[in-house]
Amino acid sequence: MRIDFNNALIILSLAGIILAGSLTIFSVTSIDLSYFFRFLLISLISICFVAIVFYLININRILSAGWIILATNVLLVLSVEIFGQEINGSRRWLDFGFLSLQPSEFMKISYALFTIQYLRFYSFKFTAFRSFFLLAALFVTAIPIIIQPDLGTGVVYIAFGIMLLFICGMNKKYFIGLFSAFILLSPVLYNFALTGYQKGRIINWFSSEGSLSERWNILQSEISIGSGELLGEGFLASKQNEFNFLPEADTDFIFSIYAEQFGFAGVILIFVFLAVFILLSLNALMKQNNLSDDLSPYYLGSYFIFVIGFSFLINILMVSGLIPVVGLPLPFFTKGGSSLLCFSIMLGFIFSAKGFLRA
Amino acid sequence: MRNKDLNFFKSRAYGILFIFFALLALLLARFFFLQVVKGAELKEQRELNINASESIYPKRGRIVSRDGYILAEDIKTFSIIVDLEQKPDINAISLLADIFDQDLSADEVEVKVLTSLKFSTQETILSDLSQQDLAKFLVRSSELSGFSINESYKRNYDPHPSIFHILGHLGFINDLDTKYFSQRIMGYDKNLWQKVGKSGLERVYEQELRGMHGKRYFQRNARGNKKQITGITNFVEGKELVTSINYIAQKKAFDLLKGKQGAVVAIDLSDFSIPVAVSVPSISANDLSGISSKDYADLLNDEQRPLFNRAFMGLYPPGSTIKPLLTIFSLSEGYTNWTETILDDGLFRFEEEQRVFNAWKEGGHGLTDLEKALVESSNPFFMNLATKFDKDKFVDFMQSASFGSVLCSDCYPHQYSPLINDAWKQKNFGKDLYKGDFINLGVGQGYMLTTPLHLALLTSLIAKKGEYQIPYIVNKQTQNPLFLENKLSDDDWKRLNNSLINVVYSPNGTAFRVNAGNLKMAGKSGTSQVVDINSRAEYDEVRKNPLLRDHAIFIGYAPHDNPKFAIAVVIENGESGGRAAGPVAKEILEVLTIEN
Repeated sequence: MRIDFNNALIILSLAGIILAGSLTIFSVTSIDLSYFFRFLLISLISICFVAIVFYLININRILSAGWIILATNVLLVLSVEIFGQEINGSRRWLDFGFLSLQPSEFMKISYALFTIQYLRFYSFKFTAFRSFFLLAALFVTAIPIIIQPDLGTGVVYIAFGIMLLFICGMNKKYFIGLFSAFILLSPVLYNFALTGYQKGRIINWFSSEGSLSERWNILQSEISIGSGELLGEGFLASKQNEFNFLPEADTDFIFSIYAEQFGFAGVILIFVFLAVFILLSLNALMKQNNLSDDLSPYYLGSYFIFVIGFSFLINILMVSGLIPVVGLPLPFFTKGGSSLLCFSIMLGFIFSAKGFLRA
Repeated sequence: MRNKDLNFFKSRAYGILFIFFALLALLLARFFFLQVVKGAELKEQRELNINASESIYPKRGRIVSRDGYILAEDIKTFSIIVDLEQKPDINAISLLADIFDQDLSADEVEVKVLTSLKFSTQETILSDLSQQDLAKFLVRSSELSGFSINESYKRNYDPHPSIFHILGHLGFINDLDTKYFSQRIMGYDKNLWQKVGKSGLERVYEQELRGMHGKRYFQRNARGNKKQITGITNFVEGKELVTSINYIAQKKAFDLLKGKQGAVVAIDLSDFSIPVAVSVPSISANDLSGISSKDYADLLNDEQRPLFNRAFMGLYPPGSTIKPLLTIFSLSEGYTNWTETILDDGLFRFEEEQRVFNAWKEGGHGLTDLEKALVESSNPFFMNLATKFDKDKFVDFMQSASFGSVLCSDCYPHQYSPLINDAWKQKNFGKDLYKGDFINLGVGQGYMLTTPLHLALLTSLIAKKGEYQIPYIVNKQTQNPLFLENKLSDDDWKRLNNSLINVVYSPNGTAFRVNAGNLKMAGKSGTSQVVDINSRAEYDEVRKNPLLRDHAIFIGYAPHDNPKFAIAVVIENGESGGRAAGPVAKEILEVLTIEN
């Protein structure tokens, strides 16, 4: 096992993010120290487990099961409609006793596995039919997520799927076409596809006239972030959290609490960790000497790197008021087994894909 | 082939990487803006979120009588409220309902608790707990989590009904109150006050009595619930009001009139303060706090009008009690003197209109001079005198005797006695005053109306030989004395005083039966007509209805050689001033002069 300077930096930055996330979730839920350790353990164990399993099993085997995985995942998403627990007005969770999971979170992984399996069969040569087929598969599988209703997860799933197709080399005219279609259809979508609650969030973001409760979260989030000032209020010293001014402080808005406690300095630190992780792991992937003609590890690895990176950015853009609140988790921060497991699996893929652990 | 694909992949991956870093840079700028540029401002907003304060209602000042009795004071009161930090559970609710099963049902409590939690307001479950109730709660307070005891102040008045009209009462502030106080109190903030003075001294001295709020600073969470008290500034208790009321005399006056309707007002001639101001019937001032709207409506509609302050607001024809005042006017203007006589045969013939006015005594008083006209109360004498009055001089004189102007600096509310002039008659009847009007005015009837307070003031200025001040209960408006327009010689004053002494002490005097003994009282009785009648026979018919009987009025002062107190007594439908009102005046003057 060889761990060079670059790899050490990657692990260090990742450890920094996971530690920051665990500390923040501890400060929000507070009192419960065991929760802090459980959070750390789940992430570490699942990362190592997935990476080691994939290293041992050979990624090709997993990939050949891609369509089965996607089909199973879609069925699980649909089964939530029947067996799921209802939380906050939508059914997203499946209760497994020890762990309640949100199957829709895993769709980004399943779709990637399916797509890579499909394209690899054709040596990643795109035809019009294949392009349309993959796009159709993407949109159709997004429907069960959106009707849960969970528009945020659905839209981000589609966006990440399109990014995957872009990475895999689909002709750029399709992207131009998709973009034009989106612009043209957006008024129709806004009127017919969105619920009042979703519209509220969008109106709220575009104008200052949104309802009080819609503006409340964003306002309180900005107050939390701003109160951190340069150096932060210190660990466990978030008053916005103590006095419950920030709803969903342990899920969507956890980064605001982090920013209040650790200030702009802490925010820069996280950004540096994130940049180092993304840049170095992508770099390591590119430099890797893959002897076969199969580019799957590149596609899959870079896709998961970007999914983690952009998930981070989307959540932070959201809590800092730059985009509408779409209810997306922050990797390794947000309390919740699904997102933690999901991102850990992605890390496992990334490490195995670039041969991180190979001798 | 492979390298070409790999390079294509790399170019696309770097494209995405570029977008990633562009967004990261945007976020860095955003966080710099939020945390460094606007950080302090947003932090201040957070502190505003969390830190709040609430007012602590001050303890209202006491009101005491001159002789040292407490007439009104704030006392501590305890109530059970919903504690928002520890929501009451169903066990606590049913236990509370059990303990206070006479006042509360579990459903009632539950509704209040739910309202409380829904709107984050501290609902009061049970207010004004007795000592026993308080003990009952405290003994089981550990099982009653979610409820707590709130301590506040409640106005408590001396229960005797004689003081209600003087003190007034408190009530929940409304728009009229806000308007009233905004005009009188600098920077009045209506939101700070729940209950304010509605009438009487409570209203006039609102600013002095109310005190200043304290403040309780606390931290609250997003639902507005108190988490932690961070500081307290104590309230400033309201000032104590020392009134001129003589509680013993006040009570006595009320008790003497009990069962009747009327008023007694006395004035201390040393400083023109008011030691007695009683209106009968009345209520206990405590009865108005927490009164139901139905009971309040009943009080308002009560035919005896217990809420109406007759002493300051009731307008009565002064009848013969106006005669001493008109004597001053007539002597100074030379309309008559102490030697001129007329023949009083019980009738006054108004030649110009060929009308005949009946006097109260059939057959009349015979040959009558001014002193006899006062002592025996001859109407024809004064009717005759009044026909000589110069209208303008009369109006000026009455104006200098406070007709049509303020009668007290701090009696609220009080009614002015109308100044009868051409303008007044034009307004009410569309024509000017003419000689015939003066015949009635000369015997205190017709358009002439005075309040008991004004009658007492008129008595004071007669006792003080034309000098007077604006009466008061707590604070004097000005030290400068006022004077009657017309002056009398010392001899005239002496003879007027003698005449009024004879009203009481001469066997012919209308108030001889008062039996004033050695009180040294001077006075004048009066009987004022409720309905306009022309003959004795007609009155006998009218008096079958008690409400149409004449009002009995008496004014007096004592001691007559060095007057210390003046008094006016009005008893509605009491008929004879000398017999009904005179004894009341005597008894109160006795109490007042013995006290001093």
